[in-house]
Amino acid sequence: MLKKCKVWGICLLAFMMILSGCSGSAISSKKTASKGEEETIKIGMILSATGTFAPLTEGIRNGFNLYLEQHDNKLGGKKVEIKFEDDEANPQVALRKYRQLVSSEKVNLLVGPISSAVAYAIRDEVEKDKIILIDANAAGNDLSWSKKSDFIYRLSFSNWQNGSSAADYLAKNIGKSAITIAPDYPAGKEVISAFKAAFEAAGGKVVKEIYPKLGTNDFATYITEAAQTKPDLVYTFMTGSDGIRFVEQYNDFGLKGKIPLAGPMELGDQLIIEATSDNTEGIYSGIIYSPWLENDQNKQFVEAYKKKYSKLPNTFAVSGYDSAQVIDKAIKKAGSVKSADLSKVLKGISFDSPRGPITIDPKTNNPIQNFYVAKNTKKDNQIVPEVIETVEKVTMPETAPAN
Amino acid sequence: MSIFSIQLLTGLAYGMLYFMIAAGLTIILGVMNIVNLAHGTLFLISSYIAFTFISQNVGFWAALLLAMAGTAILGIIIERLLIKRVYGKELEQVLLTFGLTYIIADTAKWIWGTEMHTIAVPVFLDSSITMGSMVFPVYRLFVVLVGCGLALLLWYFESRTRIGAVIRAGVDDRDMVSALGINVGLVFTGVFAFGAALAGLSGVLGGPLIGIYTGMDSEILVTSLIVVVIGGLGSWKGSFIGAILIGLIETFGKVWFPSFSMLIVFLLMVVVLIIRPQGLFGREVA
Repeated sequence: MLKKCKVWGICLLAFMMILSGCSGSAISSKKTASKGEEETIKIGMILSATGTFAPLTEGIRNGFNLYLEQHDNKLGGKKVEIKFEDDEANPQVALRKYRQLVSSEKVNLLVGPISSAVAYAIRDEVEKDKIILIDANAAGNDLSWSKKSDFIYRLSFSNWQNGSSAADYLAKNIGKSAITIAPDYPAGKEVISAFKAAFEAAGGKVVKEIYPKLGTNDFATYITEAAQTKPDLVYTFMTGSDGIRFVEQYNDFGLKGKIPLAGPMELGDQLIIEATSDNTEGIYSGIIYSPWLENDQNKQFVEAYKKKYSKLPNTFAVSGYDSAQVIDKAIKKAGSVKSADLSKVLKGISFDSPRGPITIDPKTNNPIQNFYVAKNTKKDNQIVPEVIETVEKVTMPETAPAN
Repeated sequence: MSIFSIQLLTGLAYGMLYFMIAAGLTIILGVMNIVNLAHGTLFLISSYIAFTFISQNVGFWAALLLAMAGTAILGIIIERLLIKRVYGKELEQVLLTFGLTYIIADTAKWIWGTEMHTIAVPVFLDSSITMGSMVFPVYRLFVVLVGCGLALLLWYFESRTRIGAVIRAGVDDRDMVSALGINVGLVFTGVFAFGAALAGLSGVLGGPLIGIYTGMDSEILVTSLIVVVIGGLGSWKGSFIGAILIGLIETFGKVWFPSFSMLIVFLLMVVVLIIRPQGLFGREVA
């Protein structure tokens, strides 16, 4: 019958619509530039507002906007106009949006992206157009090594830093044998290889590396596999919803409290702690930020953030805040918004962040910053990543370590 | 207890969850001939509703009922207000329901933000049973039970009740049924609400397993469309078998061919379509 065939066609159509990236369109905030006497600078933000990365983007935007609000909507004394584009975490879309921002909107500076794949995709264009990109999240190591650019400065952290920072503590205090579980994509591999190198240098041994496919939503298989091997600890790199599910399932399958769970910054971040609360208790992580870090900047930051958004800031909010802060400081110092001038002052620039003192290492264009080994501990009915040890001035090596 | 049986149970639990999701979709498709692409979105909304109530200290079960009622009402609104206008126009239906997914999902983003949430497992199911050297969470067994219960209920309704008979008749000859004095429009609204409530049920029960996050709606929609296609359009029995197959294949695929686990699911769909184009339990295409 024709009718059935039609339904088939529609199912097929539906599939194609969904699979071919049904994600949303650009949202550009249209703040009309007030034609005052001061100059206006246009900042292009290229982040991922759809899919898994959406909460990271929200954090970064919140942090950035908070800084702007606190500084009278000015950076480096100039009025700021923000153009926001969603790259859908897709390098091809990102290139299109990049063109839009740079050629049509003629932005002075770029802030972004979330995904390292996007960062690599627009890297050559950035270099060609000589436009400063403040990397607020993409953690790919090669942005500091083989794909380093005089126009790209990272404010967040690299996979190398994230994976290696807590390894020494874990090997010396928690246990010598570890199983690693991380999704099968570049960031997963980079974090684990950094962890493995540092963990084994400290006398530990990674007995098994498990790489589930990216986008896996059930880890029961891998968790039971880990349980059977009985390592001293399980080290996992999981972001966003994957991290939440992993932590919950680790608990469901009875491993919580039996085999210590450890991981990079993600496992000690509010994004996961808030969603899974008690199930994250006892997890070790190497973090760069927690709302409970004690310094004056952080105290003010947390208070202002809570007032504006009525929740605690996470690490990504700090990255956003610092991105605005570094632009502010760099423009003031350079006295110009020209890329060449900014590039000069961004190399080696230092400032105080809510996460502690930061210096952009001119050798890698990556921040030299403190990492904190933390254990998620229950305090006053909420889980707090309690700092056990501070790893000072974690600095990326100048070139990729040979292995 | 071997690792094999753990995988088996895990696969079964996911299969049952997929069944609960797909059942609503396939029933609406079978009875009303509508591909409701907003089904995944109803799933998402239901989890958010339950999450909101639970964080206000309403118990899990009350939140479950409220969320199901909420999605059913939303379903009624969608059917009465919008879908009613496009009966028999397939392309319009697809565009309409697809457009709805954007509107509802973005509204959800606006209300609940983009952070991920989870629904905590109800207290008395929040334990694990030890089987030999292995541990298995009770909640997953519970999901398996609910799935089986739903299948039984659907079977009973379809074959043993008057409503079931009316619905079956309505599928075959709508005009004849209305000539007999039965309000088909009302029946259709009821079916749509029921399908939406099933999306609600699975949304809440799926909360503790897969969490709540933006973008979940389209993932869920794809999975349930695959289940429906494999099982046969409009056949809930087919969806039952199809969902279990997919749950198991996904789980075991992860163990045996980790890099191909998603591919295998699509492969299964291709094979089924080649051998039985109408799906496992679909009616013969004339």
